[in-house]
Amino acid sequence: MNEQNPVPPQIPPVIPSIPSGGTRQLGDDPLERVAIPNIISAIEALLRHPRRMMFQLRQPGAGKLIAAMLFISIACSLIYGVVVGTFSGGQQLWIAPVKIAAGLMISALICLPSLYIFTCLSGSHARLSEIFGLLAGMLMLMTILLIGFAPVAWIFSQSTESLAWMGALHLIFWFIATIFGLRFLEAGFSHSNARSHAGFYTWVVIFLLVAVQMTTALRPILGTADTFFPTEKEFFLAHWGDCLNSHDGESKSKVRD
Amino acid sequence: MHARSEKLNSHEISTLLRGEAGTISVWNEKWNTQRLVLHVAVIIVGAGLYGAAMGWWRDPQQALYVAIKFPLIILLTTIGNSLINAMFAPLLGLNIPFRQSFTAIVMSFTIAAAILGAFSPLIAFMIWNAPPISPQTVSGATYNLIKLINVAVIALAGMTGNVRLFQLLARLGGSKAVAFRVLFAWLSGNLFLGSQLSWILRPFIGSPDLPVEFFRTSALHGNFYENVFQSLQQIFND
Repeated sequence: MNEQNPVPPQIPPVIPSIPSGGTRQLGDDPLERVAIPNIISAIEALLRHPRRMMFQLRQPGAGKLIAAMLFISIACSLIYGVVVGTFSGGQQLWIAPVKIAAGLMISALICLPSLYIFTCLSGSHARLSEIFGLLAGMLMLMTILLIGFAPVAWIFSQSTESLAWMGALHLIFWFIATIFGLRFLEAGFSHSNARSHAGFYTWVVIFLLVAVQMTTALRPILGTADTFFPTEKEFFLAHWGDCLNSHDGESKSKVRD
Repeated sequence: MHARSEKLNSHEISTLLRGEAGTISVWNEKWNTQRLVLHVAVIIVGAGLYGAAMGWWRDPQQALYVAIKFPLIILLTTIGNSLINAMFAPLLGLNIPFRQSFTAIVMSFTIAAAILGAFSPLIAFMIWNAPPISPQTVSGATYNLIKLINVAVIALAGMTGNVRLFQLLARLGGSKAVAFRVLFAWLSGNLFLGSQLSWILRPFIGSPDLPVEFFRTSALHGNFYENVFQSLQQIFND
């Protein structure tokens, strides 16, 4: 009888673990748990509460959200493409949007397997669907930002005839949008228990190279040409060198830019 | 956890890539035919896709040949060295049976093949952007760049596979020194056989001056090391 202990052993209170770096767990804030019901909410969540988007991408049934993000990305890149096409007008009004939307989606698709591999190698437990969702979020943020730049790009495209200048301007806008998109992707990546970011940074270099090369592979986007695809294969550095060295690069009639 | 780890699941390959030595060592302890089939399938698909992307520059037929040859080199190297590798392990301080050394090596090649497979769309994109292969391009910067990128990707895949293999061996042997010795012996043997198999099964990228063929007619004339020796002789004689 004396062997029974009337006083139960004291259990220490459970202290929730805080991940390294002091970052909060996704879903700690009740706002992050609110579902994203429509496209407008998705845009708002991505711009104002990216953590809500990251949390929702981990929930079952995130496929609809991913599909919505891809739809927005395609729609926004088509709209930005029309603005790009206004520089040359004519057939470029439909060719440029198609090439920009297709190029962006193909670049992302080509780079998705290596992103997943680098994520796994970094020790992350993120599933392929979550990585795909984060990539779709990156594309959506990029293309929304491009829409924001579109009026400025349109004004310049109406007031200059220089292909080199317009090409550089679009590249700058794309680069700024990409930086913000990659910031979102990195934030999502750091919530997946990755031990190191080295693999992610390597992938960023690969993605940038693929995306930039895609603009050369699908040229002309800004200028005009007789054929939809270029007849000559070139790496982007050689192509940019040709553009800068060419005196004809100052006019709208210059092809393959 | 033990029982769960022995079952195949959809996260099998990602667990390998993350190098979860605890789970992988549990897998390694028991023979599981289904798991072995899955790993061999990853090697065939991953290395095959990469080979196809590499050979595509020369000709679609070359792509098909290299898609067959690339996984074949990996599988033949694994099988050809399986006996000697199983003997090296206990001799160098890691007392594991044949099946464990065999599955450990297959797992490391599975990781390498998964990485190669993931990079195959990027290589295909690079090849699509390259000018058609010709005697001029072979002597130019494009050919060297394509070769260099292929070497870099294959090196990344190989190194990652071996780092994960080292982690597993250290776990199984309980010592990094033992793991290093065994890995060094296995790597030496695999490189020795793998180089010769690659020599026999050449070409991979393919030469624009020579016909597209599965084997060169001189495939079994001489070997890789004789060729290296002759090249060195030529350098010093000149």
